[in-house]
Amino acid sequence: MSAGADIVATRPARNVPVAPLLFAGSLALYVATALATGQHAYLTGEGFVGLTQRMVGLGIVALGQTLTILVGSIDLSVANLISVSAVLASFIMKGEPAMIAPAVLAVLALSAAVGLVNGLIIARLDVNPLIATLGVGLILQGLLSASFSNFAGSVPAAFQAFAYGRIGPLPWSVLLLFVLAFAIWLLLSRTRFGAHLYATGGNRDGARLAGIRTERVMIGAHILCSLMAGLTGLYLASRLRAGAPWVGRDGVYDLESIAVVVIGGTLLAGGRGGVWGTLAGVFLFATLDAVFNMTGIDAFPKQVLRGAIVILAVAVYAVRSRGHVA
Amino acid sequence: MSAVTPVLSMRGIGKSFTGVRALDDVSLDCQAGEVHAICGENGAGKSTLMKVLGGVYRPDEGEILLGGKPVGFRHPVEARRAGISIIHQELSLLPERSVADNIFLGLEPTRSGLLDRAAMRDGALKLLERVGAKVHPDTLVKSLSIAEQQLVEIAKALALDARIIVMDEPTAALDERDAGRLLELVGTLRREGAAILYISHRMAELKAIADRITVLKDGKLVATRPAAALTPAMIVRLMVGRDLADFFPPPGDPAKLGAVVLSVEGAGNTVLSDITLDLRAGEIVGVAGLEGSGKGVLGRALFGDEPFTRGRMVIDGQNGLIASPRGAIAAGIGFLSDDRKKEGIAPQQSLRDNVLMTLRAFARRLLPPGSGDMARAAADRQLTEVDVRAAGFAQEIRELSGGNQQKVVIGRWLARDPKVLIFLEPTRGIDVAAKAAIYQLMRGLADRGRAILMISSDLPEIIGVSDRILVMHEGRIAGELKRGANEEDVMHLALGTGTTEAAA
Amino acid sequence: MSAVATHTGPSAALRFARGINVGLAVFLVLYGTITVLQPSYFEVEGFLNLLRRAAPLIILACGQLFVIAGGGFDLSMGSLVTLTVLGGSMLAGGNPDNTWWTIGVLYLIGLGVGLVNGLVVTLLKVPSIIATLGMLLSLNGAALMWSGGAPRGYLPENFRALGRLVYRDVPLTGIMPLSVLILIGFVGIAAWLLHATVFGRQVLAVGDNPRAAELSGVPVGATRVLVFVISALSAVTAGILLGGFAGVSTAVGQGLELQAIAACVIGGAQLLGGRASVTGAVAGGLSLFALFTLLNLMGLPQPLRETVQGLILIAAVASSAWRMRRA
Repeated sequence: MSAGADIVATRPARNVPVAPLLFAGSLALYVATALATGQHAYLTGEGFVGLTQRMVGLGIVALGQTLTILVGSIDLSVANLISVSAVLASFIMKGEPAMIAPAVLAVLALSAAVGLVNGLIIARLDVNPLIATLGVGLILQGLLSASFSNFAGSVPAAFQAFAYGRIGPLPWSVLLLFVLAFAIWLLLSRTRFGAHLYATGGNRDGARLAGIRTERVMIGAHILCSLMAGLTGLYLASRLRAGAPWVGRDGVYDLESIAVVVIGGTLLAGGRGGVWGTLAGVFLFATLDAVFNMTGIDAFPKQVLRGAIVILAVAVYAVRSRGHVA
Repeated sequence: MSAVTPVLSMRGIGKSFTGVRALDDVSLDCQAGEVHAICGENGAGKSTLMKVLGGVYRPDEGEILLGGKPVGFRHPVEARRAGISIIHQELSLLPERSVADNIFLGLEPTRSGLLDRAAMRDGALKLLERVGAKVHPDTLVKSLSIAEQQLVEIAKALALDARIIVMDEPTAALDERDAGRLLELVGTLRREGAAILYISHRMAELKAIADRITVLKDGKLVATRPAAALTPAMIVRLMVGRDLADFFPPPGDPAKLGAVVLSVEGAGNTVLSDITLDLRAGEIVGVAGLEGSGKGVLGRALFGDEPFTRGRMVIDGQNGLIASPRGAIAAGIGFLSDDRKKEGIAPQQSLRDNVLMTLRAFARRLLPPGSGDMARAAADRQLTEVDVRAAGFAQEIRELSGGNQQKVVIGRWLARDPKVLIFLEPTRGIDVAAKAAIYQLMRGLADRGRAILMISSDLPEIIGVSDRILVMHEGRIAGELKRGANEEDVMHLALGTGTTEAAA
Repeated sequence: MSAVATHTGPSAALRFARGINVGLAVFLVLYGTITVLQPSYFEVEGFLNLLRRAAPLIILACGQLFVIAGGGFDLSMGSLVTLTVLGGSMLAGGNPDNTWWTIGVLYLIGLGVGLVNGLVVTLLKVPSIIATLGMLLSLNGAALMWSGGAPRGYLPENFRALGRLVYRDVPLTGIMPLSVLILIGFVGIAAWLLHATVFGRQVLAVGDNPRAAELSGVPVGATRVLVFVISALSAVTAGILLGGFAGVSTAVGQGLELQAIAACVIGGAQLLGGRASVTGAVAGGLSLFALFTLLNLMGLPQPLRETVQGLILIAAVASSAWRMRRA
């Protein structure tokens, strides 16, 4: 009998279907803006393909961020890792098609290592994940900026196909995004690792008592998240035709990936949420991007608006929580 | 029985936390087909012992033998693999996941690498039927009642085909019917040859199912006896170490009872309804109730932490509902949380800074922190009054024992001289000596004209300390009992099966 | 578990002293190494010049310290510094007559930024690390928007004097930079607020355990908002000094927020609240600045500063987590 636990019994259970609502709302906004500004090119098949292409960069890293947030952690180092990956890929490739495979492998290996380090610091040293990943991000960025100050190397034409190539009307990159989303959905809903990931995020002590090795789950989620950041870096290198040490920070991938995950209905504290909500959040951001373009808002006000939108998005979910945040 | 090698045997187990001796040389064993009950007060070490067995903590000394072979668990998963299943006291279910997900957590069946959802659903159905829970495996746990959640927790423990089952107060949240069914289930498991460690302090249950009873006190083993050789009074004496008469302070003098200082009429919020009560200066009113009865929320509502949204409240002649803790304090209410660590102490601040926290909360911001009644001497006086034992008052409070931390938090309120003090589980996790001191402190406060509302899950404490007892059931006050009521009277009301006039 | 069960921990005063000594010791070692490489630093004048250049960082560290003591982070400081410098040059437009009201407007902007940060954290319950990161984006965007992407205008001479003016022929020290006087005043106010007022105790209580503070009646929300205001005002102060010698650019404040956090941590402040000292933050700021100076003298690339800060952050938090676990 415990007086403190009384509250739990009476909290109403209510899950809003976030993903379809977000998706429909964004689509309506997109179509309405295109009609209102008379830019009908945005409403053609090609226009919609363009819209989905806007999702790829943020989408891949957000899938990874979904995992760290679900497990009750967070990753602020993704933006820096994206920069490192993009630069490393184009630096190793140096325009040589033969170096594509080694470069991709090197990037993925490095990403996995960064994820492992993040996970170990958080799970074993018991460091707050915000600070741990902020620190690791700084270390990465410092090393990168000390070694490269501008575009480094270049990617061969064959690798640019990753960003620009298509099968039929569908770009490779969009296909990859959806394949990854499906794979992670499968992982979360149909594997033991997924079940344990939700359990660790929902109640770490309870999961441990049930015999789950929560440290391993935590580390696994971080490795996967970092791999996704590495893939995003590869995609950006392919799209920009070379990597530069600022691509991750300029894209604000750390903050925006967290924002879309939270907008998609995943609890910031972990334990509830999933892939489709995140994709819907990414779709909303892609839509906003397109809407900014259509309405011709400048780059700088856009930045101000994005900062505000991120805060408001997190606030919408956080404001109802009891207690204090710091 | 001693001829057979016991299934489980714990030898000389010792465990300390930050200098506090939680377990000291505890040995016990359990045979196949035996129910071995463990009793002891809150903080006696029962839960720690079970956590050592379950691989949550590693013992500092001693060893655990399973079927005569020594084992060392580094993680709960190893204990589970060895066939030990534990139903923990605090619910460890995942509210956002389905019943089936929870039951098979950590034991998920798979087929070619993917979860076998069908097998999980079928298995869950069978286990739920076995524990007598009428819930669907696909329901989310958060939509279940506390009692249903408790049954799911038990089904979860049975999912592991365990040789040793530990139950830590499994009936605490159940009504009589569900509790009866659970006891039948325990009987079945015993007949099937499981070794069962059963923690409870409901005497009737112990008489009904225990083969042997072990009593713990202050982390030490007091006695292990056959259940038939013990009466409830003997068990209590072993648990407390002396007669209850000396342990609890004398009752308040009815002649000294003062005016009504707090009065609530028809108040409620999302959890509570129809709350009507009067508190008089000079009395200690106990509030009892099961988990989920709303007794904790009652304390928090009066203090404005989960405020009443309707009804009338009068404090010391002033009208109005309290909307925040700060408002409550300004109106003359003090509050002691049941979670000292999360809501009581500022761990890294000194004893003085902790005891002055409330005074400073209402002082002008730019004053020196030691001005006027916030002077060091005043803080020291306050700490001395509540009899804090510490190396020095500049020490960080986290270095103190739970009992001394609790005294500091009580001392925090004395400086403001509140009319009403709300104490939530005031002695949870505190050793017996500090407990007695806190009871004396409470009685002293009441004798000097404060009204005290003591909300507690510890029935002996409710019965031994309160001048009268309010019992909560499903968010309402189910009835009131005079001093001299017994545990059964309280439980009747708490379970919703009793009447107001149950006690003389 | 009775009388003397708990062992004697180090007293608060002793720990306080030790906190200073770590930061100071680090600084002295670093400064010693610098003087070996560059003997001019060995004179009072050399030290005062270093202090003049370190003043903005130390002021930022003192402001950040309040937010850290209260359990949060302010990542928007650096962008507020940038906004102060760019905004100052836009507003004053090089005319010395505009300097004083410009400074007034800048402080008003700082007040607004601090209030917004504080209210978003307390009312909307957005974790401060995310709220202030969002503010960072918005302020950077606003600074660029205001200056049209490329900074125009320049700071008038009397504005720049605050950061660069050096009084000559001062008795005892020989020279005395104006910014060092401002620094001393600012640090004095910060030390008084944190260590010698009721407010300082409230901040520490809120940072150590906000629920306990709330249930003890401490106005948690107001305290949180105030620390963000203090932090923002210190960023404006630092920006005004920095404008004096760093010149007008869009990158002038970049990364300063993390330097300030690292300085606090070196000075013994505990991230996520409850333990902080102004003397420690000052020593931490000096140490960090001396470290950067040293890395420069040794010819290491500037971006490695970030790596060093990252290592400091992780090491500090890991060691304090370890300390809490075994205590």
